[in-house]
Amino acid sequence: MTTVLLVDDERLIQRSLEKTLLRAGFDVLTASDCKDGSEVFSLNASAVDIAVLDLNMPGFDGMPKPDAGFDLLVDLKKQKPNLPVVILTAYDEVNKAKDAVSNGANAFFVKGREQGLVELIQKILSGN
Amino acid sequence: MTNNIERHAKLLKASARAAKNITTILDPYELFQRTVDIICDEFGFYYAGVFLVDETNQYALLRAGRGEPGRAMLREGHRLAIGGNSMIGASIANKKGRIALDVGEEAVFFENPHLPNTRSEMALPLIVADEAIGALTVQSTEEAAFHEEDIDALQTMADQLAVAIQNAKLHRQEERRSRLLKAANRVGKEVASILDLDQLLPQTVNIICEAYGLYYAGVFLLDEKGEYAVLRAGYGKAGKAMLAEGHKLRVGTESMIGACIAMGEARIALDVGEERVHFKNPHLPHTRSEMALPLIYGGRTLGAVTIQSSEERAFGDDDITTLLTMAEHLAVAINNAHLIEELKEAHNEILRNKVFEALTTASTEAIHWIGNKTLPISLTVARLREEIADGNVDVESLREDLDMISESAAQIIQVKEQLIGAVREMKPRPVLFADVLRTAAIQRSIAPEAIKVEIDPEAAYIIADSTQLTRAVGNILQNAAEAGAKSIKVRVHPTEERGVLEIDIEDDGAGMNDDTMRKVWSPFFTTRGVSHHGLGLPAAMHVVSQSQGRIALVSEEGKGTTVAMFMPQGRVISSEVQPGGVKNILLIDDNDDWSELLAELLKGTKVRLTQTTDLKKIPATDLILVDENIASVSLTEVLGALSKAGLAPKTVILTSAINPERVTQYLRTGLKDVTVKPYSADEVSELLK
Repeated sequence: MTTVLLVDDERLIQRSLEKTLLRAGFDVLTASDCKDGSEVFSLNASAVDIAVLDLNMPGFDGMPKPDAGFDLLVDLKKQKPNLPVVILTAYDEVNKAKDAVSNGANAFFVKGREQGLVELIQKILSGN
Repeated sequence: MTNNIERHAKLLKASARAAKNITTILDPYELFQRTVDIICDEFGFYYAGVFLVDETNQYALLRAGRGEPGRAMLREGHRLAIGGNSMIGASIANKKGRIALDVGEEAVFFENPHLPNTRSEMALPLIVADEAIGALTVQSTEEAAFHEEDIDALQTMADQLAVAIQNAKLHRQEERRSRLLKAANRVGKEVASILDLDQLLPQTVNIICEAYGLYYAGVFLLDEKGEYAVLRAGYGKAGKAMLAEGHKLRVGTESMIGACIAMGEARIALDVGEERVHFKNPHLPHTRSEMALPLIYGGRTLGAVTIQSSEERAFGDDDITTLLTMAEHLAVAINNAHLIEELKEAHNEILRNKVFEALTTASTEAIHWIGNKTLPISLTVARLREEIADGNVDVESLREDLDMISESAAQIIQVKEQLIGAVREMKPRPVLFADVLRTAAIQRSIAPEAIKVEIDPEAAYIIADSTQLTRAVGNILQNAAEAGAKSIKVRVHPTEERGVLEIDIEDDGAGMNDDTMRKVWSPFFTTRGVSHHGLGLPAAMHVVSQSQGRIALVSEEGKGTTVAMFMPQGRVISSEVQPGGVKNILLIDDNDDWSELLAELLKGTKVRLTQTTDLKKIPATDLILVDENIASVSLTEVLGALSKAGLAPKTVILTSAINPERVTQYLRTGLKDVTVKPYSADEVSELLK
């Protein structure tokens, strides 16, 4: 079974995405901020196959931070260098997408076009 | 011989008396006229006249003459060439007295038609500091009336007259200088306080013309290229006409103003003498003298002032000095006005940037917000479609999905309410702040008891729309609660500014950093995720500004936030409640500031007020008032009980924050009315009508 770590501070989005992923047959672990996300990952590092991280959410200090998702990405990569990561954001910005890639993200996913998220995760995990 | 000695002694005495009288006169016109009269009266002469040397030093001008002959010659502008054939001209040129007699071998023929009876004449120079400033003529009808030795006796008097003339001249100069200095001072003082150039310049020309009694004054300022002096203000109709024509003068030697600016120094033109200037401005036909004064500040010429008089030779050295002082004051004032304009422009520039920044932030935040709010809806709908298509619908999951859609939609609607709410019609009135605060707290599910309130009795009422103020205060309280505040303190007190109250809402929540503090007034900016629209503070600011107030915020990360609102103070006129036909009122409300106020207002009237929250025994009454925001019992229960008892038609819901949707909802249940809470006797009377 594929396990997805989903980190998003927007409760309704987190729950809705979780349900979509569950329905697609994934196991889903959720968290609402960097600290929480890092902890959940540490406890399940071997099980987690891919992480879907919101970009704008509370950082490790609990304070809101526009690029907090990158901090968590770096943290998770330290724990598991080959972990695939999808950055989730409401900002449709090329520069943010480039930052995501330079930080080691496998994909940059703009909220509102999420119908393809399941396919995207499947595609990344199949190595294509 | 004895006769001669007596006559000489008599002349000396008369001369002394005349001199004594003359020296006390300070007004020059009076001096000349009185002198000729005194001389004629004391000595019994036929005629006396005073001549003064003109500015060109070529002529002696008659300035006073005895009787009708004197007046006639003054009218004719009688003058005699200095050093010419006349006795006066010769005595001035030689600085010596002369005698002419109609007898003897050197008989002179007196031919002045105005003085046909003259038989003897003496001319005495008026000498000051070895300079002849004029001459005195005395004439007698007697032949050989004067002897050579009489010259000395009368010269003493002439010398005194010369001193008196000099004194009068100095006195007049002193008086004029003082008047001009006063005028310069007035201009300086009055213009210094005006900082708007469009006000300053017209005021200045008015003040100059009034203070100096001038025909015209105008202010020119240099254009940006420094090529033209452009008229910016002109006195009276002429000024208005020239301003309408866009009057401007090239900097250079073509005009006085142009030359004055080019050279950076004052210029004077006088319509007299041999170098007569022809003033040709058709708008100013009566100008006879003109002065152009440069306006210089910090070594830079800003423009020039023209001042014009209808008098010939109107300006002397003193005028130049005082007018230059005035021009210096004006240049400082113009420079100040320029600086203020530049400051305003800079401020506007900053404001434009700020607005742009706020808009950019707002747009970015709005995009983010809209994305986050609509995402759960589209996501859930897509998932549901798939589930339906698969024929695999789980009821529990479906219920959750519908709740998510509903919650997201509710948040979007809430934004609409914040946006529309703030632009709803304002009805400012004195509002009991304690009541607004309580309502706001209850509406935001914050226990009123959790808020520590200190309201100065002087600061009980605020001028605002109670609905809008409740919204603004509610937004601030909600922010405090969401920042994790354990304690919220509210203080209301008067400020040093008359009629302005300060409301401080202080929390010990998370506080914020500088970056967040800069953005808090931007719509859609929020640090708190999905349930927030980021419109709370911008909406509060809008409400406060609409009430002619100001709002400010200080915050420290980890320590908390204080929002300060500065609002106009309200005053309630104490009058007696007119109860109409109402005798009994039942009030369903907590014991709070407003219920105390109502009891106080009804005291001394014939209305009996009963207050309760116990719904089991509802006494018979004419009118039931229910506070919409009641903490000790639920409103739904209250309305249910009243409806059950058939009392809905007697029930009025009172609220400090009225909302159209809720009004509709209440009225549909058959209530009598829903209205805003009264805060004064007049408002209670209105309610009881």
